[in-house]
Amino acid sequence: MFSYNFQLALKSLKERPALTLLTILAIATGLGLYTTVKTMSYQSSQVPLAHKSKNIFLLQMDNREITADAVEHQARMVDTTYKDTLNLMQLEMPGVKQSFNWSTYGILNVEDENINPLQTTAAVVNSTFFTMFETPFLYGNGWDKATEEGGEAVIIISKLMNDKLFGGRNSVGESVRINTHVLKIIGVLDTWYLNSKFYNRSFWPGYPDNFFIPYTFAMDNNLPRSAGFDCWAANADISRSFRTENKGRLINSECAWVTFWAEVPEAKVTDYRQQIMSYMESEKALGRFPRELEMYLTNLNDQYNYVNGRNQFLNTFSVLATLFFAVCLLNAVGILLAKFMRRKKEVSLRRALGAKKKTIIMQHLLEVIIIGFLGGVLGIVISYFGLQGMLNIRIYSSDYTVRVEDIQPLFQLNWVMIGNAFATGIVCTIVASIYPIWRLCNVPPASQLKSQ
Amino acid sequence: MDIKPIFLGLKQNKFMAMLMIIQIAFTMGVLSSSVLVATTTLQEWNVPSGIPHNDIVRISPEFFDDNQDVGQAMFNDLKRVKDIPAVINAAPSNAVPFTAENMIDVYLATEEDAQGFKTVVFESDEQIIDVLQLSLIDGRLITASDVVKGEIDSTPQSASEVMISQDMAKVLFGDDSAIGKTIWLAKSADPVKVIGVYSNFMTGERLNGRGKSYHSIIRPQVKWSLNQQPHYLMRVEPGTAVALLEDIIDVFYLERGRYINSSELLKRTQKRMYDGRGSRALTFLVLSLVLLIITGLGITGLTAFQVTQKRKQIGTRRALGAKKSDIMRYFLTENSVLTLIGLVIGVAVTLSITFELSEQAGQNFFNLGVLLMTALLLWVVNILAVWFPAKRAANIAPAIVTRGA
Repeated sequence: MFSYNFQLALKSLKERPALTLLTILAIATGLGLYTTVKTMSYQSSQVPLAHKSKNIFLLQMDNREITADAVEHQARMVDTTYKDTLNLMQLEMPGVKQSFNWSTYGILNVEDENINPLQTTAAVVNSTFFTMFETPFLYGNGWDKATEEGGEAVIIISKLMNDKLFGGRNSVGESVRINTHVLKIIGVLDTWYLNSKFYNRSFWPGYPDNFFIPYTFAMDNNLPRSAGFDCWAANADISRSFRTENKGRLINSECAWVTFWAEVPEAKVTDYRQQIMSYMESEKALGRFPRELEMYLTNLNDQYNYVNGRNQFLNTFSVLATLFFAVCLLNAVGILLAKFMRRKKEVSLRRALGAKKKTIIMQHLLEVIIIGFLGGVLGIVISYFGLQGMLNIRIYSSDYTVRVEDIQPLFQLNWVMIGNAFATGIVCTIVASIYPIWRLCNVPPASQLKSQ
Repeated sequence: MDIKPIFLGLKQNKFMAMLMIIQIAFTMGVLSSSVLVATTTLQEWNVPSGIPHNDIVRISPEFFDDNQDVGQAMFNDLKRVKDIPAVINAAPSNAVPFTAENMIDVYLATEEDAQGFKTVVFESDEQIIDVLQLSLIDGRLITASDVVKGEIDSTPQSASEVMISQDMAKVLFGDDSAIGKTIWLAKSADPVKVIGVYSNFMTGERLNGRGKSYHSIIRPQVKWSLNQQPHYLMRVEPGTAVALLEDIIDVFYLERGRYINSSELLKRTQKRMYDGRGSRALTFLVLSLVLLIITGLGITGLTAFQVTQKRKQIGTRRALGAKKSDIMRYFLTENSVLTLIGLVIGVAVTLSITFELSEQAGQNFFNLGVLLMTALLLWVVNILAVWFPAKRAANIAPAIVTRGA
């Protein structure tokens, strides 16, 4: 019976090839666009370090003035001051890792005059950064606490820089210059893909940091600090200058600008929170933290959720793509109806000859599933090209400052998305066909035969 | 023609009518939302630059070595670059057209409540006019003797005469001549005198986004420090810029301890200025077009189906004396009635979508003209979509009824 139905379905598909094709095209176009957007949202919302992302917390403490406004959301809360950063690093808690960073930039150059200097973005970090965020090393390793505390001039460079400056050879032990400072390379990172640069809270995709240096060295040599400085009124007017000047004043100020992270196992979160609270209380006793004590520990998952919810382009695009898909499905309903109702006579004859409603439904359902399947296949092909198109648009609109390798994964179909697209395609086609099939199988038997 | 039979016909086939209406309403919603987003994004897009941007090269070098003499380097740079035969002229400038984002307020008075006028100041030497090929509209050009040059810390004095752009002059002084007038580049600053008015050129996206693309001031002064080094603008023989770029970069690398931050044709700077929003808007417009095609095909399919359904009635009407044009008109009117209802609902859908999007983006997307244009476009597409099946319907022979089919 199934194969008979299947044959009938195939026959019916071939009957009006233009209409069949139109239905498939309508579904495929809608689905293609829908999958394109869904893939982009999916890929940009994938949280890195998935195995421990819920244990990696951003720490924010409210050290602001008494006159400051209440914040509506954690994301609006200030980061950490330099002195709190150093104090918190003194906390000893087994099992808990803490790390902090800020951004800088510099001109990387080598003695070899044939290689032109490169300006690039970089991260200023402490020694635990590399273990907490599990950066992959191609050569060498991170630095230890002693190196850091000694203010040694060491640097870790990215694979890209290693390729450009040293032709890809193992450059550990060699020297590189940031502006005029000479630093020793102790490690080379392998390709470290992040869908967005979460660790400095910029959440920017596509511009990986190209070197990493110890915070002590960066501070001692006053490398630029690309940060937003949330200062008290006393320093508000010069807060911009803290990027390059007034280091001494910055270190002792209440300006918050360092991104502070803690990796805390599930069982210790309450302890850790308490410890931070008691730190804040002890500082309050010294006259700091004038507001009601408040702190935020926000794990990576929650931060990703928040940031992705605010992606304006994807949101707009998402709404339009969903509606677009709906319009395409409405079209499919109309075309299917037209296609099926042509078969009134045949169906009423078959019904008159004893075919059950169920058989008619089965036959047409099969036909619709085949249409949905083909629409799904074509839709996935369309979304592949859609994603390629979006990738190229992104690269074009960044004026080729983003490298394809760095953002390509954001526009990559995977099995989850392909599976989803198929399921969506078939389910939606079936839903679209409910009314046309219902109309058709309710044609009274023999009603169409009268005048022939 | 009586509209009554159309409603009767629609009543008979409620589902079809509903389907068509919903389809049109949704299409209208999606189409006009994306067109509205696109047009808002494309405001002030690719407006004339006022300069030969294909033949101007921009270089932004930067010393990372603190032991360099920027003033001497500038002197060397300009000399070396002008020695390249294909380079016609060069000028240092603190800002670059298309990326001049350092917006300030200029004032006609210093009172507390004096109104500020947004503008950007290009600090450069007398060659800038020739490099950018600006023409003199009024007054006189700046000359070499007007230019104040020096290291920032050791040069406290500033140029006291400026040139302003045509649009700037219009905004500040209306139809009066700007020549000899006094303006303030900041309320606390010394006044400066306008000595000339030059033709408009594009400043950058920040002013452009405010509809003040051409508001600029040229101040004849070149000041520098290690933290603040000028850019260079060079006009080259037409068509040679691309080939010359590498040579020019090499010239700038002759100074050691330096890094070339940016080196490009102004054409590319211009492209970058419009890129982000341009490609975004185009994405939406392409989607709109695809959607329009799909809906058009869908409507054609539905109407074709109805024509097949109504063959007998059509034959009868024709047999009773209806002309071909009557049949055509029937289908076109029927479709228009549905389209109209669909469009009304569609406008409501659009309003809610654009309201939501505007809330999210904090930017107003709504524009009545665009909305009406989209509605009209959708109507035309619908008529086209119905035209062909309706034509087929009109060609049904009256004899069909007599066949007893």
